This record gives sequence, C-alpha cells and structure tokens, in this order.
Amino acid sequence: MSPATLESYLLVGAVLFTLGMVGFLTRRNLILMFLSAEMMLQGVAINLVAFAKFRGDLGGQVFVLFILTVVACEAAIALAMILMLYKRKKSLDVSLWQELREPDQEPILDEDVMPPGDKPAEFEHLTPAGAEPPPSKEAEEVSHV
Amino acid sequence: MFDATFLMWLIPLLPLLASVTIAAVGRRWFPDKCHIPCIAGAVGACMAAILVFVAVAAGDEAPIVTGQNTPWISAGHVTANFSLRADGLSAVMLVMVTFIGSLIAIYSAGYMHGDPGYPRFFAAVSLFLFFMVGLVLANNFVLLYACWEGVGLCSYLLIGFWFAKPSAAAAARKAFLVTRLGDIGLFIGILILWAHSPGHSLEYDDVFRDPRHFHFGGMLFWACLCLFIGAAGKSAQFPLHVWLPDAMEGPSPVSALIHAATMVTAGVYLVARCMPLFGAEPAAQLIVACVGGFTALLAALIAVTQTDLKRVLAYSTLSQLGYMFLALGSGIGEHKLAGLAVTAAIFHLFTHAFFKALLFLGAGSVMHSMGNVIDMREFGGLRKVLPITHWTFLCGALALAGFPLLSGFWSKDEILTTTFEAWQQSAGPVGGLYGLLFFSALFTAGLTAFYTGRAYFKTFWGPEKLPPEAGHHPHDAPPLMAWPLRILAVGALGVGIVLGPFHLFAHFLDATWIKRAFGLLAEEHHANMPLMAASSVIAVVGIGLAYWMYVKQPEVAEQMSRRLATLFELSHAKFYFDELYELAIVKPMTILAHVCRIIDAYLLDGLVDLLGQAPALMGFLVRPVQNGLVQYYALLMTLGLAGFVLSILLR
Amino acid sequence: MESRNLIWLIAPPVLGFVAIYLLLPQARRLTPIWGGALAALALVLGAALLVRTATVFVESLLFYAFAGITMAAGVMMIAQKNPVHAALSFALVVLSTCGLFLLQAAPFLMAATIIVYAGAIVVTFLFVIMLAQQEGASSADERSREPFLASLAGCILLASLVCILHQAFDTRHLDDIARELTQITEAKDDVEIKRLSCLGDPTKTDISKLTRPLVEKLKEHYPEGTRGRAEADQLQIQWVRMEVEPLKKTAQSLLQAIQSTGSLALYDVPGKAKTPGHREPGKLPAGNVAALGKTLFTDYLIAVELAATLLLVATIGAIVIAGRRSEVLR
Repeated sequence: MSPATLESYLLVGAVLFTLGMVGFLTRRNLILMFLSAEMMLQGVAINLVAFAKFRGDLGGQVFVLFILTVVACEAAIALAMILMLYKRKKSLDVSLWQELREPDQEPILDEDVMPPGDKPAEFEHLTPAGAEPPPSKEAEEVSHV
Repeated sequence: MFDATFLMWLIPLLPLLASVTIAAVGRRWFPDKCHIPCIAGAVGACMAAILVFVAVAAGDEAPIVTGQNTPWISAGHVTANFSLRADGLSAVMLVMVTFIGSLIAIYSAGYMHGDPGYPRFFAAVSLFLFFMVGLVLANNFVLLYACWEGVGLCSYLLIGFWFAKPSAAAAARKAFLVTRLGDIGLFIGILILWAHSPGHSLEYDDVFRDPRHFHFGGMLFWACLCLFIGAAGKSAQFPLHVWLPDAMEGPSPVSALIHAATMVTAGVYLVARCMPLFGAEPAAQLIVACVGGFTALLAALIAVTQTDLKRVLAYSTLSQLGYMFLALGSGIGEHKLAGLAVTAAIFHLFTHAFFKALLFLGAGSVMHSMGNVIDMREFGGLRKVLPITHWTFLCGALALAGFPLLSGFWSKDEILTTTFEAWQQSAGPVGGLYGLLFFSALFTAGLTAFYTGRAYFKTFWGPEKLPPEAGHHPHDAPPLMAWPLRILAVGALGVGIVLGPFHLFAHFLDATWIKRAFGLLAEEHHANMPLMAASSVIAVVGIGLAYWMYVKQPEVAEQMSRRLATLFELSHAKFYFDELYELAIVKPMTILAHVCRIIDAYLLDGLVDLLGQAPALMGFLVRPVQNGLVQYYALLMTLGLAGFVLSILLR
Repeated sequence: MESRNLIWLIAPPVLGFVAIYLLLPQARRLTPIWGGALAALALVLGAALLVRTATVFVESLLFYAFAGITMAAGVMMIAQKNPVHAALSFALVVLSTCGLFLLQAAPFLMAATIIVYAGAIVVTFLFVIMLAQQEGASSADERSREPFLASLAGCILLASLVCILHQAFDTRHLDDIARELTQITEAKDDVEIKRLSCLGDPTKTDISKLTRPLVEKLKEHYPEGTRGRAEADQLQIQWVRMEVEPLKKTAQSLLQAIQSTGSLALYDVPGKAKTPGHREPGKLPAGNVAALGKTLFTDYLIAVELAATLLLVATIGAIVIAGRRSEVLR
C-alpha cells in the first residue's frame, strides 16, 4: 500500500500553513510577510488538490485555480501598497507602521537595535547607460601626477 | 329627546379638547384668545351637564351608566372600564362644577388679562375641568382615582402658576405632598375594597350593593378610614389641612374654582359616594364627624384673626368643609339618618360652591383693583370705590354667615339638624360626643358669621384707605369679571330659597340616588323650627358683633386682641400647626434625606463608581494589546485559533 | 489515543518549532547548525511516522522528496535574514509544491502555479532588489518579532492538527479488514476458506450469526444504500452458499476500493451528483486539462466570472494605489 495517502498530503499542507503563519508573525519585512502569506495559501492548495484526488472530484483543483486568481490579485494590490508604504518611510519595516495604537500606549521599539556601522552590502552594478562615467579618484590622482 | 349617554361622554371631552387645543397651538396661534376654547369647553360641558341633570331627574331611579364594556385596564384580577355614571349625586356635582367652572373661566378672561402665562392658565383650567368631571362621572374606583390624581396635578400646576415666586412654588409643592399623603390613604382604601369586593370588582354597583352583608370581616372600618384619609387630604381636613391656606398663592380664580368650589369638595363627594360603606360602620362615622367638627371649629378660630382676605376665606373654606364632613359623619344608625346626612352635606356643598366662589372672585376683584394687595390692613372703606364688588361680596358674605333665608342658612341648618338628630338618636358616650359636636357646630356658626362680617367690614367699611400699589384711580371689576360676580351673587342669594324650604334638593336626591343607594322609601323632610330660629339669631348676633367691633368701635377690637393676647397670638399663628409639622415631620425628614444623601453620595456612588472602574481596569489591562502593530493582532488571532483547535481536540 | 503514541505524534512538531525558534533571526542567535540539525531530526521523525509498509514505490519516494524539500525550503524561507534568499527559498517551496501537485494528478495546476508564481516571484524579486538592497541589512530583517510566542502558537496549532489528522485517519482497523480480505482472495479452495476464522463458523445454522466479524466490520463503515454495503451483504450471502469464486471476486473489489482510497468511509458517497469533474474515489479523468476546463465552465461558471471581475478590480486598484506618484514625490 502506498504511504502517500491523503493523510500525508494533509500533513504537508498543515506544515506549510503553520510555517507560513509563523513567518507572517515573526518577519518584519513587508515583502517577506507577503511571501509568508503566499506560503500559507500554498499549504491550503496542497490540501485541496489532495482532496480532489481522494474524492475523484475536480472541484478541489478548480478551487486551487481560484486561489491562484486571488493570489494574483493579492500580489498586485499588496505590492502596490508595499510600494506606497516604502515611499512614505523609505523602509520595509512593518514596525514603523504602528500609529493606530491606543493613544496612551508607548510605541514598540526594538530592544536591541542592530549595531550601527554595518555597511550596506554593495552590489556590483553596471555603469548607467547613456552617460559618461564620472572619473574615479584613482584616475584623478594619476592625472595629477 | 337626546342621548344622555352621548352627552355624558361630551362633558369630559369638551374641556379636554379645549385643553389640548390651547396647550398645542394656543401659544403660537392665538396667545391672547386662549380663554375662548376654555370658556367654550366649559360652557358646552355645562349645557351637557344640565341636559344630563334633566335626564336624570326625568328618568326613573336607576342611574344612567355608559361605557361598561369599554375595557381600560385588565391585569389579573384588576379590571377597570371607562364607565361613566350619572345619578342624582353626580348630576348635582356635574352641574355645580361645570356651571361654576364656566363662570370662573369667563371671570379669568378678565382677571388674567395680560399675564404672560395666559395660555398655560387656561390649558390647566380646562384640564382641571376635565379631570374634575371625570372624577364625578367615574363609575368605578380606578377611574375615580386616576381623575383624583389628575385634579391634584392641576391643582399643583395652578397653585404654582407664578412659579417664579418662591412662595408660590413652595405652596404648590406643599399642597402636592400633603394631598399625596391622603392619596396614599385613598389608594390603600381602594386596595382593601378590591381585595374584599365580590369578584374583585371596583365598580360602584358591586362595591355598594349590600355593604351590610359584605364580606369585609373587620376590614370595613379600615377601608372607610383609608378612604376618609384620602378625602381628608383632598378636602384639607385636620390634620392634613395645612396646605389649603398656602394654596392661596395661586391666582384668585383658581382659589375660587379649585380651592373653594370644586376640587376640595371631592373629598366630601367621595365620602358621600361611599356612604353605603360609611353608614354601616359607626366607628368610622364618628371619626369623620369628629374630624369634621374639629376642623370646622379650628379653622373658624384661625379665620377670626387672619388679616389676609384670601386666607380668611381659605380658613372659612376649611371650616365649611368641616361642616360637610360633620354632616356626613352624623349619618349613623338608621339608613334614614344617613340619607339625611348625605343630603345635608351635598346641599351645603352645592350652596357653598356658589357663595364661596363668589367671595373668592370678589376678593380677586379687590386684589385686582388694589394692585395685588390683599392684606386687609392696607385698605378699607372700599364700598364707594368698588360698588359692584361690594354688593356681590356682601351677598356672598351674608350667605356664608348663614343670614336667614339666604342659601348658606338653609344648608347649614340642615347640617345642624342632622347633627342634632344624631345626638338624639345615639346613646351613651357616642351620643354625648355628637352633642358636643352639635354645640361646637353652633358656636362655629357664630364664629363664621363673626369672621365673615369682620372681613367684609374691614374691607368695605370704615374710612377709605387705599394702598399705594392701587394707583390713583382704582377701577371696579370690568364687565367680563362683573357678570360672573352678579350671576354668582344671584345664586348665593337664591339657591337656598329655591331649593331649601320645600326640600326640592332633598327630594331630588332621594328620588334619584338615595332611595336606590340606601334602599329607602322617600322620606318626609321637615324643618326644625327652633333650630332655625337659633341659628338665625346666632348668625345675626355674629354679624352684629362684627359690625360693632370693626365699624362702630374699632378700638374694641384692639383692646380685645390685647386682652386675649395669648389666644389671639395662637389663632393668628394658626395654632402653630405649620411650625409643629415643620418640627415633627419636615425636619426629621430633611435630616433623613441628608443622611440618605450622604449614604448615596459616598457609599452607593462609591460602589457604583467601583463597578464602573471595573471596565476601565479591564481596559487598562488589555489596552497594551492595541499597540498598532499588525503582527501582534495576527499573533493573538493565531493563539486563539490554536486554543480553539486544542479545545476541540481535548474535548 | 494512548500516551505513547501521542508522544510520537507530537514530537516532530515540537522539535520542528524548537528548531524554528532557534533558526529565526534574533539578536543572539546560535549558529544555524543546531537549528538545522533539529529541523532535520523533526523531518526524519515525521517521515518515520508516515511510513507504514516496507514496500517502496516510486511514487512514495517522489512524495518524500518533494514533501521534504517543500518543508525544508519553507523553514529556510522564514529563517533567512536576507530577503533575496528568502524569496529564492519561496520559489523552491512553490516548485516542490508543484511536484506534489503532479503526484496528485494535477498537471494543469502545476503548470499554472509555476507560471503565476514565477511571475509573482520575479516581480517580488525585483522589488526586493529595488527597495531592500538600497539600505542593506536592517533591523527589520535581522530581528524577528516575538519569535517565541509565534513558535509556540505554531507548535500548538500544528500539534493539534497532527493529532486530529491521526484521529481521522487511524487506519489500524482498515489494515485488519484489508488483511482479512486479502486472505479471502488468496485462498485456494473452499476448504481453505472455511478455515478462515474471519468469516465465522459455517456449521452454525443461524444465518444472521454467520460471517459476523468481517461483514459487521464492513457494515460499520458503509451506511445503508452505498455500494460498500451492498457488497458486504453479497459477501455474506456468498459465504453462506459457499460460492467460492464470486466470493473471492467480491472480496477483491472491496480490497481494491480500500487500497485505492486508503479509506473506507469515502468508498461511495450516496446522493452525490455526477458532474463532469466527478469520478469514483481515487480516480480522476485522464485528460486533466480538458476535464478541468469542462468543470470550470459548467459547474463553476459564475465563480469564474466573479474571479474575472475580481482580477479586473484588483488591476484597477493596484493602478490607483500605486499611481499616486505626485503626492509622494512632492
């Protein structure tokens, strides 16, 4: 008998769902929260597909299609909103958006903030097209000499 | 000829309609013409009442009853209908109330002219008329009680008509509270009747059907006593008499209408209506008679020394009401005497309404022309200045004093006869008590004549004296006020001579009510000639004494007051009843109220505040949850979900 | 549920979430090795829980592989400090989920998911590179919010779900029935069948008492009117009449149904309307795309229209929200 019964798929779905949930609860990056929510939806989709197979009813797969639709909508709206939020605060940290608390509540601040001085990782990038690159320091020094 | 039952509905509805009209649109649409609906309602009700009276007189002895099948309250064993009843007693009261009411409404149109509360006044007067005729027309105790409270309310509104005046507001409150004390008695009395009447019915016919075989047990006495307490409260009998003199703070027409002619007689009406019960309970009757006689004497004694014209009249009203209760209380023993007593009381009530309303309106007229001054020391010799008022007042005063052949004479004589009969027919200490009451009533009659004469002579005789408030040319009553005075004066003079000597009134009541109510055949009424002679002499002597003391020899009055200083002071201070009540009741109550207030403010409010703090505390505890971070909200949701699933699992 | 069993059930989720707690980005995080080791242990334990037979099919191997990758990638996604890595992990989750879809006879969904998510992931990727990398590592990525409470909640939830699933799919009695049915089918002749204790004693004349154990067990699971109930009744009659070949055929049919669905309860649901997408339990139409399309545009037509409207609304909404450029830039 095959071990890949309905129960196994449901278990995988449940694990994905809880993982996504924990990710949504703990991660403070807006984009990651969004991805975690997507992962919860994936867990649900696995459930539906497994049930479709089990019951011999394509309704479950149809529902997954609708989930895909909703996910697409959600992605569109959520990314647009994330963009707006980023434009306001220049950060993706969800903790910056806590103005809607009770009036006499202190804002929640990080207990141990990141030690300052960490240089942002510099990625290699190509020269922007269409403009002359500015002369580098080395090149200037060389020319002075 | 006409439908009496329809007219019976019309009588209360016309004043109600007038009242509602005035209250609803009077102030906005016709603020200066508000008397018109009121007068129209009152006159219409009066005409309907006269027609009903005729129908009652013409009909057989059965009462005209309508609306028995109009349910009003039906709760468990309490049922009450909107049923109206017209028999001899109600018909007399109806005619009296609506007739006097109409005249006073007309008089008020002149008297209240220019008052800012003009619409309010007439709305209240019309409402009062509605409740009063409802009280009289009611065919069961529930409706009676409702209207009883209604007239109390109107009385409160009208005493406190000038509510900006502290004394008026205080008087209104006092009147309301004191009569309320009586109303509680009435309520308890009605409850006792309800508990013991056959089928828990409160219809008059059921309650009064056969009181002697009524299964009251020992409760009949208490029922009567409680009803009498109610009556005493409304009719201002000792010891609840203190509110009526203060009620004179209201406008004079109100004093005339409510606190002399109609509302205060509701108590008399109630006891008369319940005479089948009272007649079967001699002990209650004795109390009624004693209270009535004592109030009559007490009030007369106080009236002798009062200087406020309206207060003299108020105490006189108390005294006359006491007379009526004395008459009612004398109806002991046989049914015959009960019938006689009721006739006497209602006859006096009827005549008294005329002359007392006249006197109050006259006093109002004096007040009107004297610039609202009513203290008799401030004016005098007004008979030249106010001829109409003077003559009409004289008619009223003579009638009140019991001057021979005037209305008060005949009715007072019947009361004395009744009391005399009660004395004669009962034996032992009770008989002695009735004898004492009889002589006290005679003495009171003399006092009445004296203080009436005193008020009249001090006001209209002697040197002419005007208060500065009156202005230079005080004017007599304008026609709108004069005509009611004249009509009432004719009534005061003539009602007695028409109805008295030939016992027309007694025969009417016999035929239409008493025979049926008491199961009697028509009685032969005969006058007690020696008694008549005695009371005539007493009345004339009293008036003569007043004339001698206040016109011929004014210094005698001064000397008397000095010689009898203690008695004079006692009387002038109204036997310190107000002070006594203040000390015995009001002060402890105030202290209790303060104690309660402290308990309320600190203990109860503290408790309530403590309870009120609980949600705040809860809020304080859970408020950190609302920290604005969406992830905390999601976390709480998740924990909740986990708990839910766990609970399902561990079930 | 006996407590020993319970411990084995709960151990993997608890271990897994301890691992996740250790792995989540925090100020004083241990080296990820410990967390990773714990997570791996939890995965192995969970897999051991699922394995019931020694027989290994290709399908089950593939399932283990995809499921393992899915879960591991999920853990990596929520534990990664770097958003770019997290997004890549999510892509891995989606891909291995698609593998699971394929295993469950959903090829169209596999393709659709890859297409949609690939698009979404690429866009998200762009966002991450555009926005997050401008400022480098930030508190938002290095510090997670309430890791302990979140792990606890997840642990409780998952443990509860596992327990519920285990209760619902407790297959021990199913295994009994399958074994007994197998014995019937493998029996050579009527002598051997008569010896089988599972069918009761044929010498007893009372028919109702006969074949009690197996048929009663079957009847417990099949309500009146289902195909399973009919077959169970048939089994009883054939046993009493000693018709060996039909008996073996009936037993075979029942055994197949149980093996294909892994369950008794859903053998045949009475009263279910036959729709284009509906077949017998455990069997789906061969042409997945065609069947799915038929189902979509017959049974779920209104839902499809509504979904289309939703997409349109979302498109407009996204344009409106993101289009307010001037206000922000001013």
